[in-house]
Amino acid sequence: MLSAHQTEILRAAVNRIIPPDDFPGGWEGGVGDYLSRQFKGDLKDLLDTYRVGLDALDAESQAAIGTGFALANAEAQDSLLTQIEHGSVKTTWPIDPESFFSMMIDHSMEGFYSDPGNGGNRDQIAWKMIGFEVRG
Amino acid sequence: MSKYDVIIVGAGAGGGVAAGVLAEAGKRVLLIERGRNLSFEDVGRDHLRNQRLSQYGHNAGPDINSNPRTLEVNGDERTIRPHEGGYHANAACVGSGTRVYGAQAWRFMPQDFRMASTYGVPKGSSLADWPITYDELAPYYERAEWEIGVCGSHDAMKHLPDYNKPYPMPPQSVHTQGRTFRNGAAELGWHTLPIPLLINSVPYNNRPACIRCQHCVGFACPVDAKNGTQNTLIQRALATGRCDLLTETMVERITTDSAGRVTGIAYFDKDGQRIEVTSEVIVLSAGAVETARLLLNSATSAEPNGIGNAGDQVGRSLQGHYYPGAVGLFPEPVHDGIGPGASTATCEFNHGNDGIIGGGMLADEFILLPIIFSKRTLPPDLPRWGAANKNFMRENYRRVSDIKGPVQDIPSYDARVTVNQKVRDRWGIPVANLSGTTHPETVRTANFMHERAKEWVKASGAVKVWGAPPGLFLSGGQHQAGTARMGDDPQSSVVDKWSRVHGHDNLYIADGSVHVTNGGFNPVLTILALSFRTAEHIAQNW
Ligand SMILES: Cc1cc2nc3c(=O)[nH]c(=O)nc-3n(C[C@H](O)[C@H](O)[C@H](O)COP(=O)(O)OP(=O)(O)OC[C@H]3O[C@@H](n4cnc5c(N)ncnc54)[C@H](O)[C@@H]3O)c2cc1C
Repeated sequence: MLSAHQTEILRAAVNRIIPPDDFPGGWEGGVGDYLSRQFKGDLKDLLDTYRVGLDALDAESQAAIGTGFALANAEAQDSLLTQIEHGSVKTTWPIDPESFFSMMIDHSMEGFYSDPGNGGNRDQIAWKMIGFEVRG
Repeated sequence: MSKYDVIIVGAGAGGGVAAGVLAEAGKRVLLIERGRNLSFEDVGRDHLRNQRLSQYGHNAGPDINSNPRTLEVNGDERTIRPHEGGYHANAACVGSGTRVYGAQAWRFMPQDFRMASTYGVPKGSSLADWPITYDELAPYYERAEWEIGVCGSHDAMKHLPDYNKPYPMPPQSVHTQGRTFRNGAAELGWHTLPIPLLINSVPYNNRPACIRCQHCVGFACPVDAKNGTQNTLIQRALATGRCDLLTETMVERITTDSAGRVTGIAYFDKDGQRIEVTSEVIVLSAGAVETARLLLNSATSAEPNGIGNAGDQVGRSLQGHYYPGAVGLFPEPVHDGIGPGASTATCEFNHGNDGIIGGGMLADEFILLPIIFSKRTLPPDLPRWGAANKNFMRENYRRVSDIKGPVQDIPSYDARVTVNQKVRDRWGIPVANLSGTTHPETVRTANFMHERAKEWVKASGAVKVWGAPPGLFLSGGQHQAGTARMGDDPQSSVVDKWSRVHGHDNLYIADGSVHVTNGGFNPVLTILALSFRTAEHIAQNW
């Protein structure tokens, strides 16, 4: 699994991808649970990529703003992620930063908006938020 | 003497109908299906593994670890699993696609059977006329509508000759999305009609009416109000006591005698044991890709290139449907949560479009799973993450709606199923290899339809419209057809007008493979109707 530190970075990133407002952020909405389940399933082979990518994100944060990603404020985290989204990074990444971030976005959305049976979308919170009802 | 009069390979749309008709006609039938008989719970409601979004798997087969195919693009060959892009999966279970489909029940139009005569044949295309007409198929469309069960309004089908009989059930009541698009079409002066659906709008066939849930397309019905072959003709076949249904049973090939006459089939049972079984008549209903694969994998010394392949037509002209459309953002909610969602269509553009070959039907969309909405439907200029993305989901899931529809495929000989001797499935059988693309005219028609979809969405009050026109690719997928075309000439077709394989007296095909062209409509009602006709012919002649 991910180290405690890597999990904190992931949590911070997921909560910028789906930020909290009067509805929970992605992590509290179930993305964390979704991912820890998927890291034992369909995303098993991507666990290493996550480890490497999260460490690189943290190093990037240190280089850019002098603090680890999880400890940065939301505004700084957003601007860092925006840079990464467009591939403009200061440090040398062992993997492609754009695709890593793009993958994190995809998986976050899956954890938040898909069915609770997949481990995320806690109490159908995302469905309640957008107005997707389930009958039958 | 054989234990069976008829063996049917594949218990999907075509195979299910053939089993019912032949067993009721007194024939002893063996119906063989490689997939399972899936319960509602088996199909489940997994939003990441279903026949609409197959992110990590799917819910109606084929089994993702046993059934590879290869895809050839510009000389590069890739091995693909069933839930992955490029595989062109439909389904594999009792009922096949009809277990989980959207259940749109379209008749083709008279012109759809006369495409070459109506438009001429564009250079490089295998466009051709059918050897039968709409009028010859109409009574069987009617049987499919009544015996499987369609709701709709025959009066509204102004693009077709008058129906002999109305639909057995009235259309479903219209919801907000449908009303929105009906009003928009009225602005444009376009005629709209309720989409005919293989769904019980009222109780029918001893099963209840649809409860208008949100998980229709891609899933099984919680109250069994969606009509497929699994709850109609296959049940009728089994009720006769003359039909045996084998599931999780993989047919390897057709068997023949030393003169090349078809004698039966060889299959692998649940335990992987190879068994040969004989019968008077064989019906292939394995779907367009797998039926072609079976014919090609059954080569004999009399037919070294595959059964029915004297004219080198087996596997060629693979067709499906491009599905262009447009998405709109509306000022007010258009989704009221009432399923299945798809309700309203126009057939204004199926034919008669200046300078365009064919055309297509356009309709509103099924309720989108939230994750599909997030992955595929958001406007391209919306940030992919962050507050803006979340807010858009939150504010607009119920304000966004789209129009799309199947475009008449202009077929190409090069869009093709072959078999790959180097790649084998779990049973050691050479897999299907897919290659080629549709004809560029399909793309031109699809672009034309994309523009019409945009017009419709705009006229219906959308404040923002998006969606991109399609490029050139291979069609097939869930609407696959055309790989064993019907025709009078054995050099340019695979089966005759009764769907009997040229050069064989006892080998028939009852599935989408026999479609000469695939209409500008979802294909299943035509597959079902043709199978009624073929099975009736077999019953009368054998
Ligand atoms: C999600 C979804 C939505 C759809 N919505 C619509 C719609 O709204 N309207 C519409 O018209 N169409 C729709 N379709 C398409 C429709 O289901 C197909 O057109 C139809 O099922 C094709 O019929 P067929 O008889 O050609 O083949 P199928 O129904 O696919 O039947 C073939 C069967 O043969 C079995 N088989 C194959 N090879 C072997 C073998 N070697 N041994 C044993 N068994 C074998 C397969 O497992 C399968 O069950 C939809 C499909 C899906 C998946």
